[in-house]
Amino acid sequence: MIIITEIEKKKDSKDIVNDIDSYLSKIYDPNLRNLLRKCYQCGTCSGVCQLSKVQKFTPSRIIEMILEGFENRVIESGVLWDCIMCNSCLQNCPEDVNFADLVRMAKYKMRNIEDQNPEEYIAHKGIYTTLSEIMSESNLQPERTLDWVPKECKITESGKIMYYVGCLPFFKFEFENIDSIATSTLKLICQIEKEPIVVLKEESCCGHDLYWGQGKFEPFIELAKKNLKMFENAGISTIITACAECYRTLKVDYSNLFEDFDKKFEVQHIIEYIYNSWKENKIEFKNPEQTSEPIQFTFHDPCRLSRFLPKSNNIIHKVREIFNHLEKIGYKFNEMEHSKENSLCCGVSSWMNCNERSKALRYKRLSEAKAAGTKVVTSCPKCIMHLSCLKDDFEEFGSMEILDFSEFLVNLVNVIDGNEKKEEEK
Amino acid sequence: MTEAKKEGKNEGFEPNIVAFCCNWCSYAGADLAGVSRFQYPPNIRVIRVMCSGRVDPSFIMKALKNGADGVIVTGCHIGDCHYISGNEYTKERFERLHSIIIKQLGVNPKRVRLEWVSASEGKRFAEVITEFTNDIKKLGPFKR
Ligand code: SF4
Ligand code: SF4
Repeated sequence: MIIITEIEKKKDSKDIVNDIDSYLSKIYDPNLRNLLRKCYQCGTCSGVCQLSKVQKFTPSRIIEMILEGFENRVIESGVLWDCIMCNSCLQNCPEDVNFADLVRMAKYKMRNIEDQNPEEYIAHKGIYTTLSEIMSESNLQPERTLDWVPKECKITESGKIMYYVGCLPFFKFEFENIDSIATSTLKLICQIEKEPIVVLKEESCCGHDLYWGQGKFEPFIELAKKNLKMFENAGISTIITACAECYRTLKVDYSNLFEDFDKKFEVQHIIEYIYNSWKENKIEFKNPEQTSEPIQFTFHDPCRLSRFLPKSNNIIHKVREIFNHLEKIGYKFNEMEHSKENSLCCGVSSWMNCNERSKALRYKRLSEAKAAGTKVVTSCPKCIMHLSCLKDDFEEFGSMEILDFSEFLVNLVNVIDGNEKKEEEK
Repeated sequence: MTEAKKEGKNEGFEPNIVAFCCNWCSYAGADLAGVSRFQYPPNIRVIRVMCSGRVDPSFIMKALKNGADGVIVTGCHIGDCHYISGNEYTKERFERLHSIIIKQLGVNPKRVRLEWVSASEGKRFAEVITEFTNDIKKLGPFKR
């Protein structure tokens, strides 16, 4: 849908002056076929596609159509808005054809087709993605409230280690208590670090939802530039985040945009951070309320951690190492039927396509989780919101508890400080 | 400096203001203002909705994103809603929108306003709009 207003025109002329085009060429290739040439039509992707379980959707056929020159037909039909971007196809493709990436670029093209209305596909009437777009305005500086910061934690505006909160404080608009993820994460970091942690009031959205969900690359680039400037001004070297989407965006997509981003900043997910501290003997796991009966729990792998990272990143194995260790303190970790790279999707990504089909996917996932334990731990705020939303609709899931990794661990971590160790040695 | 603190002279600036008016009270109030020839600035674009409860917070944010400098939502007085309690929902939603989203986004809270105007209050409608437009004029354009 194109709305040509004066403002829209003004914006276009501003873009030409900007260096947007050079950034755009790094994340967008107008020739979609370039991405697909290696495909030999084995059909695996259509077989594993999670969406194909609930509606007719065959990625391999779409690829074939594009390769044979019917790209316009595919774009005009708007079929690609349906893809839930779970990346299961890439995970199983023998030729590493990145279909989700193709969909992302196709969305950029589909935006400009007259009779398509992408707004229809956006969940929550697009309020959160609109917020991200407003944040990309250069003259606007967010002023987040920091009322979720726990009292015992010291925060600062410049330092070495930053906690990148993400959009959690905004999600509070509809999801009460979602900021307890932020509280627990900061509590964990503060316990381990001696120095105060950087938490910024003017933090902007990372732009993940605009990038993956709607193909709005220009505001994404604006957000990225804004964030980069903010990181540089605060003088940080390590960024810790508790959100799977922020992690992927900062780690992979920002590095694609800015060449030296990964050299300047070390991006860590809270799982990695806890794992490293544990391996460096800074912390140990203790359970003050250990019972004789072990508590059964399971882990839902967010797609952004299991399938959207380079193959060398083994964060999903690290989290399992931690969980298996917890057996000593009265927790029993069970795998779901589908886990790690094959885990099922929570049904919605980037605030797109929340409908009866994605609900069906979510139902499947929660049923699997229920079979594995009453506690479900995950590490993506969106997965938590989506699964909790379904949980409230069905009585059978009423006894389940859906927690973030940090909420789960916050009372189980014990910091080993130097003095204690010396005493033990005596 | 944040947007919320920027105020000053913006001479010659004509703001774009979106006004959501409920069909039963405020829209009729606007009508009355017109019929009785009360003058108010021509900066508002009225959108008629059946009830102020129809106005989703996302409409307000989208209006700002797409170039409005201010958004005003008007409805029947509490207790007078044609649909019994629509405006009570609006009020609740507005408070949340202000305290959680508008505040944290760094948008000046004066840009988004909720007012109750009944069908007989043509004069009040003109006053509210005049006051709001003057406020926005002082704030300057939302996007620079
Ligand atoms: S799995 Fe890969 S190679 Fe096989 S049809 Fe799909 S994209 Fe092509
Ligand atoms: S990203 Fe997921 S939904 Fe989309 S085609 Fe691949 S497997 Fe299917």
